[in-house]
Amino acid sequence: MHIGPEIGTQGQHLRISVLALAILGGAVFAAPALADAPAPSALDNGMAMFDSGKLLATGGVTNVEGAGGGGLATWALITGYGTDNGVGVDAHYTYVGLSDYNLQTVGVAIGVMDRVELSYAWSAFDTQQTGAALGLGKGFTFHQNIAGLKVKLFGDAIYDQDAWWPQISAGAQYKATDRSAVIAFVGGKSHDGVDVYLTGTKLFLAQSLLVDITLRETKANQLGFLGFGGDKSNGYSTQFEGSAAYLFRRNLALGAEFRTKPDNLSIAKEDAAFDVFAAYFLNKNFSLTLAYVNLGNIVIHDNQQGVYASLQAGF
Amino acid sequence: MRFFTVAAFVLACAGATPAFADDDSLFQDLGGRDVIEKIAQYTAANFLADPRIKATFDDTNMERFEKLLSAQFCVVAGGPCEYKGRSMKDAHRALGLDNADFNAVVEDLQDALDKAGVPFATQNRFLARLAPMQHDIVTK
Amino acid sequence: MLVFAAAASGQADDGHTIVQNGRAFHPGEVTIAHGDTLSFANQDEFIHQIYVKSDAMTFDSDEQPPGQTVQLKFPTAGTFEVHCHIHPKMALVVHVK
Repeated sequence: MHIGPEIGTQGQHLRISVLALAILGGAVFAAPALADAPAPSALDNGMAMFDSGKLLATGGVTNVEGAGGGGLATWALITGYGTDNGVGVDAHYTYVGLSDYNLQTVGVAIGVMDRVELSYAWSAFDTQQTGAALGLGKGFTFHQNIAGLKVKLFGDAIYDQDAWWPQISAGAQYKATDRSAVIAFVGGKSHDGVDVYLTGTKLFLAQSLLVDITLRETKANQLGFLGFGGDKSNGYSTQFEGSAAYLFRRNLALGAEFRTKPDNLSIAKEDAAFDVFAAYFLNKNFSLTLAYVNLGNIVIHDNQQGVYASLQAGF
Repeated sequence: MRFFTVAAFVLACAGATPAFADDDSLFQDLGGRDVIEKIAQYTAANFLADPRIKATFDDTNMERFEKLLSAQFCVVAGGPCEYKGRSMKDAHRALGLDNADFNAVVEDLQDALDKAGVPFATQNRFLARLAPMQHDIVTK
Repeated sequence: MLVFAAAASGQADDGHTIVQNGRAFHPGEVTIAHGDTLSFANQDEFIHQIYVKSDAMTFDSDEQPPGQTVQLKFPTAGTFEVHCHIHPKMALVVHVK
C-alpha cells in the first residue's frame, strides 16, 4: 500500500501497512477453516470464529472516516462478514482526487458478533498547489486519526423483510488532526473532536433497494481536517447523511449519497457533499467502489469534484 | 400489505395455508410450477454439495424433501399449491441452526435461481418472502 | 407426551415397544413371536414413518409426528426390516419366531 511521500511520518506509514498486511495475511489462514477439516486443531477452532457467514455485500463498504457504510455515509450495518456468532475484519484504502486537492484514507475495522464495530482510520488531505496559494507550501497535507465505535441497537436489515423498521445503530468517532497552528489560523477552535451519530438502514429486498439515513452531531470542519468548531459557530450541529443503492446483481450495487456538513468557519463556507457510486464485490474478500464525488467548496476553491476509488479487503 | 404479510406469517406457523395465494404474480414471474420444481431440484442438489450444510441432510429422504421444498416455494410465491409439511419452526427446531447455516441455504438457493434463469430482481422478490423465516429457523 | 415418555423411558421395556429417537430405532434389533404387535413410539423431535417391504408382508404407515405411536402386527414368522421413508438410514431388524 503505497502512500505519497508528503503524507505522515515514516513510522505511521509503516504501522498502517503492517496492520493491513497482517489482516490480509490472516485471510489466507482463515480459508482452510471454512473447508472440511478432519481433526480441528486449536488454530482451526480459533480461526473458525471468522465464519465469513454473512451474505455478500451485507457488510457494506468503508466510508471516508473508516466506518462501515457507503462512501460518504455511515450505515447501520456492522462491517465484515462475521455472523452474530463470529467476527469479521477488513482493511481499506481510499483515494479521492478532486480538482484542487486529494484525500487518501487507510484503515482497519472489525465487526464483532454482528453487534459491535470498531474502526481505526488514518487520513491525509493534500492541498497540492492550493497549499502554495495559501502560503503553506505546495503539497501541504493535513493528517487525521479517526477511532470509531458503532453498536447495533435494533433490527436486522437483511432478515426483517416482514417489518417496517430499519436496522438501527449508534456510534461515535474520535477524530484528531495535526496542523493545530493552521487550524487556529483559519478559525478552528480545536484540533480534535468527537462525532456521535444515529443511523438507520433498511434493505427493501423485494425492490432490490437499500436506503440509509444517518443523523450526526458534529463540530468537524471539512470532516475534521480543518479542526472542530469555529469562529462563526462553535457548538454541535445536527447533520444528515444518506444513501440509496440499487442491487443490480449479487455483487454489484449502484447508488447515490449525500452528506451535509457544518459551516463553522467564516473563512470559507462549507457545502454538502454528494456522490454517485458503483460498488463491486468480487467475493467475500475484496470489493472495489468507484464514485464520482462532489465535495463543494473547500477553502478557496469551489466545486471540488472528482473520482473516488476505494478497495476493501477482508473476511 | 404489511398486515397481510404478518397475517400470512402467523397462519404459516399454525400450519394453515399462507395467504400469499391471493396474488400469483410472483408465481407467474418465476415461471410457474415447472420452473419452481426445477428450482427446488437445483436447491436440494446444492445443499448436498455444500460442505457447510450437507451433513444436515445425511439421513434425509431427498426426494421427499424436494417435493416439500417445491410445495413450500410454490405457496410462498402465491401459486396454487398446498404445503403439507411442518411449520418452519417445528421442522428446524431440533437442528440447532445458526445464521451461517441459514445464509449458506440462501446462497445455495440463489445459485439455483441463477441456474433456473430467474432474473435477479425477481429472485429478490422471492427471497424477500423467505427471509423472515430466519426468525423461526435459526435457533443458535 | 411427558407421561408417555415416562412410561416408555426410552427403551423397549416390555419387548414390544420400539422407540424412535435421535433418528434411530431403539432397540435396533428385536425378537418376537408371530402374531405379536410392536408399538413404535416417536419420542424424537422429527417426524417419522414406518414401512416394511417383503414378500411375506408389506406395511406403509402415515407420517408419524413426535408423540404419536404406530402399531404393527407381525403375523408371519421370518426376519423383516422396518424402515423410515423420511430417514433412509433408519433400520430395525425384527426376528419373528
